[in-house]
Amino acid sequence: MTTGCTLGEMMIATLARTIEDGTLVFHGFGSPLIQLAMHVAKRTHAPRMVLVAGATYGVNPEPPFLAPTTNDWVMDRGASSSLAIGELFDLAAAGRMGRMFLSGLQIDRWGNCNVTALGYPNITLKLPGGGGGCNLSCDAAYVTLWTTAHRSPEDAKGQRRFRLVEDCDFITNLGHRTRDGRTAKELGHRGNGPQWLVTELGLFDFDAEGKARLIAVYPDTSIDEVLENTGFTPGLAAQVETIPAPERSVVELIRRLDPLKVHEKEIRAEDMRRGYAIA
Amino acid sequence: MARTPRPVYTNHDKRTTLDDLAARVADGALVAVGGGLSSREPMALLRAMLRHGVKGLTVVGSAHGIDIDLLSGGGAISRSSESYVGFEQDFGMAPNYRRALESGIVSVDDSCCYTLVQQLRAAIQGLPFMPVRSVRGTSFLSLHPEYRQMVCPFTGEELLLVPAIEPDVALVHAQYGDAQGNLLIQGPPVADILFAKASRAVLATVEEIVPTERLSELGGVTIPYFYVTAVSEVPFGAHPTACYPLYAYDRRHTALYYEAARKGAGTFSVEYLSVFVHGVPDHADYLARIGGEKTRARLSSWCDGPEAWKRLYLDEAVA
Repeated sequence: MTTGCTLGEMMIATLARTIEDGTLVFHGFGSPLIQLAMHVAKRTHAPRMVLVAGATYGVNPEPPFLAPTTNDWVMDRGASSSLAIGELFDLAAAGRMGRMFLSGLQIDRWGNCNVTALGYPNITLKLPGGGGGCNLSCDAAYVTLWTTAHRSPEDAKGQRRFRLVEDCDFITNLGHRTRDGRTAKELGHRGNGPQWLVTELGLFDFDAEGKARLIAVYPDTSIDEVLENTGFTPGLAAQVETIPAPERSVVELIRRLDPLKVHEKEIRAEDMRRGYAIA
Repeated sequence: MARTPRPVYTNHDKRTTLDDLAARVADGALVAVGGGLSSREPMALLRAMLRHGVKGLTVVGSAHGIDIDLLSGGGAISRSSESYVGFEQDFGMAPNYRRALESGIVSVDDSCCYTLVQQLRAAIQGLPFMPVRSVRGTSFLSLHPEYRQMVCPFTGEELLLVPAIEPDVALVHAQYGDAQGNLLIQGPPVADILFAKASRAVLATVEEIVPTERLSELGGVTIPYFYVTAVSEVPFGAHPTACYPLYAYDRRHTALYYEAARKGAGTFSVEYLSVFVHGVPDHADYLARIGGEKTRARLSSWCDGPEAWKRLYLDEAVA
């Protein structure tokens, strides 16, 4: 019998809880944690969710297993229909996409993300680019942000390269507020912006001003650890909770959905050792 | 000033060789590469273009990987307007693409998927621009001074206008086509239909050229012939990306590619380009070099069921 779960499974369950039933939800590429979170939600609390797979644009697919790349026929098996690329983005632009999941190599307190380049305009590291994230960050009703690399250990010179940064070098995906202080609402965007930020150290929501606020940590992380690894000072909930472990049935579901353990590619080696008891 | 209208291509027989297709891509062209990520990339055509020594291309696209990385490593690009170029979590960032853009050899002109869709739609409709509501507030405005903001005369909303993109040429790999250039894409077409309609020319490779009646039996035409300039039958023309139902993604070859690319430009040139691109005179020799029938059988084994499909992606499968 399954008696424990991994950090990856904890994060998948936490990400899945951010999905409401009866909404249209989309994921991008290179994000197996999100693919699994969506399939978990669909098979547990959100059966009426419209699950649109990234890259294939298949609607409500039932893949036999999670493939190592997103645009693989594995991932749209069982889909009842497929959308055209323009159709999917039209749905978001018209305000019909309930949630999108986004990430970045830099994420600031407002939920802005950089997936384009470090050092811009004098580029030191060219990142892959954000796909359609820029558009969807403005258009999707709600955004869940995530990263598996919040922890920023000191390098040999005693410096940290934060994932959660004071300022993004380039804003690929818009959060609640631009660098010059205009809010996404003032800009007239459809979406309500980032609602949650799930990391391997904790769970944040966003306060009324649009600033990230720590609301929960894992059983094996602490508020201090979060603060030490964050490039800005986040708000703190009056009561910082502990992220609950998923139910056994959810853990078993994740293992059936991802027999190749593709999602572990997203988890850092040092976090592979983390484990949690489940009821 | 609007360019002259895109032509319609009415020849009855557009069949030609892969080399002829490659020779039609001019230095400096604005190129839309079809397919996406690990699927249905026109890889044989890109390799043939590199053998021809094409230079100075600007590439536009949505989500890409080994195709744009190979063109970067082969020195064919001078500007990238892609939305994503990488190997997802499977292998990570695109090494040749990164080097080319970080060194400044290739200028960074990143876009995002819906912006590109709207720009292609403008070209398709013969309009100079299309509006989007998104993007405002992000750094893409500093990267793209050609975007313009306007106040909607009907609602008073602030909108962003993005200019039409009319690629000089779209490069598309489809499962099937006929002699006239009708193309049938099975599975996700990604942006290929938009590319074909928005581009001045469409150069297509297909797994098999079949009679027109057979296209209907196989599922119908995805891209009508009059958009298509020339077509060449190139079986396994998407390798090492997938072209289902004929073959799956060759993760083993991609691992070999990635390892060579990761080690640096020099190693990539010696270990990959001179073996699989410049070291083979044509596509037939490439197929022999990647393992011929044995590789074909391995990659078509996905249809034996989920267990066989999974085996293609297990770590043990990576040499």
